[in-house]
Amino acid sequence: MTASTVADTAAQEGRPRARRGADLIVKSNLLLVFLGLCVVASLLAPQFLTGRNIANLLQQSSLTGIVAIGMTMVVLTAGIDLSVGSVAAFGGMTIALLMGSGVPVLPAILVSVAAGAVFGAFMGGLSAYLTLPSFMTTLAGLTAVRGLTYLLTDGKPAEAGGSEGFQLLGGGFIGYVPIVGIIFVAITVLAAVVLRGTTFGEYVYAVGSNKEAARLSGLPVRGVITTVFAVSGALAALAGVLLTSRLTVGQPTAFNGLELDAIAAVVLGGTNLFGGRGGVFGTFVAVLLLSVLRNLCNLLGLGSFFQMVVTGLILLVALVLNLLIERRGARA
Amino acid sequence: MTATTERLRMTGIVKRFPGTVALDGVELSVRPGEVHCLLGENGAGKSTLMKILAGSYRPDEGTILLDGQPYAPATPHAGLAAGIAVIYQELDLLPDLTVAQNLLLGRAPRLGPFVRRGQRAKLARAALDRVGATFPVTARVGDLPIAAQQLTAIAKALTADARVIVMDEPSATLGESELLAVFEVIRSLTAEGRSVIFISHRMDEVMEIGDRATVLRDGRAVGVHDLASTGPDELVAAMIGEAGELVGATDRPAPKGEPLLRVERAHVPGLLDVRDLDVRPGEVVGLAGLGGAGRTTLLRALFGDLKAQVDARLDGRPLKVTSPAAAVRAGLALVPESRKEQGLMLGLSVSRNAAVGALGRPPWLLPGRTGRRLTAPALADLGVKASGPGQLVGQLSGGNQQKVVLAKWITRGGIRVLLLDEPTRGLDVGAKADLYRQVRHLADQGVAVLLASSELNELTANADRIEVLYEGRNVAHFDPRVSPENVIAHTVITGAAP
Repeated sequence: MTASTVADTAAQEGRPRARRGADLIVKSNLLLVFLGLCVVASLLAPQFLTGRNIANLLQQSSLTGIVAIGMTMVVLTAGIDLSVGSVAAFGGMTIALLMGSGVPVLPAILVSVAAGAVFGAFMGGLSAYLTLPSFMTTLAGLTAVRGLTYLLTDGKPAEAGGSEGFQLLGGGFIGYVPIVGIIFVAITVLAAVVLRGTTFGEYVYAVGSNKEAARLSGLPVRGVITTVFAVSGALAALAGVLLTSRLTVGQPTAFNGLELDAIAAVVLGGTNLFGGRGGVFGTFVAVLLLSVLRNLCNLLGLGSFFQMVVTGLILLVALVLNLLIERRGARA
Repeated sequence: MTATTERLRMTGIVKRFPGTVALDGVELSVRPGEVHCLLGENGAGKSTLMKILAGSYRPDEGTILLDGQPYAPATPHAGLAAGIAVIYQELDLLPDLTVAQNLLLGRAPRLGPFVRRGQRAKLARAALDRVGATFPVTARVGDLPIAAQQLTAIAKALTADARVIVMDEPSATLGESELLAVFEVIRSLTAEGRSVIFISHRMDEVMEIGDRATVLRDGRAVGVHDLASTGPDELVAAMIGEAGELVGATDRPAPKGEPLLRVERAHVPGLLDVRDLDVRPGEVVGLAGLGGAGRTTLLRALFGDLKAQVDARLDGRPLKVTSPAAAVRAGLALVPESRKEQGLMLGLSVSRNAAVGALGRPPWLLPGRTGRRLTAPALADLGVKASGPGQLVGQLSGGNQQKVVLAKWITRGGIRVLLLDEPTRGLDVGAKADLYRQVRHLADQGVAVLLASSELNELTANADRIEVLYEGRNVAHFDPRVSPENVIAHTVITGAAP
């Protein structure tokens, strides 16, 4: 794969080769930093490379990761979804209440996820059809949906109960591998296939790259935008469902600030906030990287305050690095 | 002539752009207290000359004397400091700021870090009074009518104490009475000894306000006229040249048969009112007109990109188009005016750009591979020069980019009507010829083509028929096989059929 890419690039003229080379460096850059960090972590903290720790790590990062995948699709169309934390909490509460009142697992999951999709479609649709900035429509959603979540139970947690099977969904392991981790990987692969392997994915990149040109090419620009927000809402609600499954309780206060974690992962993963460039694999690696960083701080006994500073700095360094590499690529 | 009687002298100004010479040794001389009109067809070099004067462009050759002193501005800021103020057609005012803020932007009176608001309001008021404007200086510029914005821009030029004020087609956005007010201001300016360079297409305005006129044609100054002793016909003749012969007109017979596209009426209140425009299959109909005559508006209206009332038939059936997507389904294709902003996704590859219109049908999978397969024939036929289908389209030359836009529609297939809006803007001569060859090739396959261009010679060379738009109406049509270019140009400028 790498070899053929290099061969292709070599056959091309100077500028594109530099550009592609820059892309390649940016992409593998993140992966290298991630692997480097893992090595450092295993040296500093011997517990890091234990199966149990890795399993926990994956378990913790998967929910944010699932949301970040939806966020990646939104950002690729040059939008942003600030409501994911609230929608995730709403999804978690909905399934808790449904299960608590005796609804079978499968319909309960479907209804909860569908509710998230409807919220997303509504906010994305408002943004697409009335040309409102999605920053504003989803900011409104962040507040309103969180409020709705509290209203469901007057702010109290809801007991989900449910079968052991349902609890396994969010909290179970196959060997050392958490089931949520498998779901995260599956969703990443599915999103990659949709983005790279379907016409819809092509439209996502086209809309994000130049909305006006996409419209004048006859593409259903508004439909594409509405759909990616629906996907983001559905994935956020799914994350909520999985958390409720693990805790067996729906928490209306859950996922506060999730949107920022997700956006951080998307940006660190190399997706352009102005749309049209990037992809879910970058996001995937970035989610793991951020969570290894957190894990390492924990193992070293560094407090969460310290973690926040480090995470912020890492983000900044990564952005500046990407910019420098891209500039050099553009100049060459 | 000595330096003292001249405010401005531009000598031997040459400006080359890749593939074209925009100015080829232009002379311009402006006296103090004079309204000097600058005339010329689209592309004659007026804007380029004024951008050099303002400091936006550096000339490749030539010298400028301002009140006898050498003047070579490196930036628009330097030009302004030297006393050259340019009022562009697109007013460079900040719509969210107040009139006072705009008038003294960057030059507001200060006390330490604080703006002296009272002092600024006083200065702004004085500037507005000088142009006879009565609106308050606290008004937000974006809330003002266009004429008031125009007056604000003039007042801004005055706060800079300009010696030469350039007005680029101020009448394009002004009504009759507002124009008279601007003329009053111009007269008071020249009475103070300032010089005004006035650019306009409208002969009646030029005759009314101008003292002298320099006519540009094909990047050269072809004459300086004293307007007191020159008639408008003489000026128009100078603008379009004496060439009465047919220039490279197409030698094909005109396509016959029933019209494929029949526009009974296309109406946008205040902008466009085109009636009875037919295009036959295989026919290339050129749309000629000055800037703002409605060429782009007509194409956008037909393509559903504009709220317009369009009564049209395609192949005898009523054509109902409410959005670009519906237009594409009906078999219309648009090559928009700005390929970078409206035609292409610059950050995506050649094949992804060319395939994007064709993917809206099964198979829904593997758009990358499907796209490369679908687009390969069109890209090869058009002769798009790229390092490969994976090259970013933003890295191609203008001509190749425009071909990718065309490839997008050819790949999609099923085009009945091709709408081209200034398709050759910024292309060199070879790329232009190449593009027109491809358009002709499409027409030969039965596509009806509407070609809007400000380059009349390109229309006469490539169109089967030329419709002239003037102030939103189609005032006349010509057969380029029998009508010489200067006759058509006369109608383009005056709006009067011969």
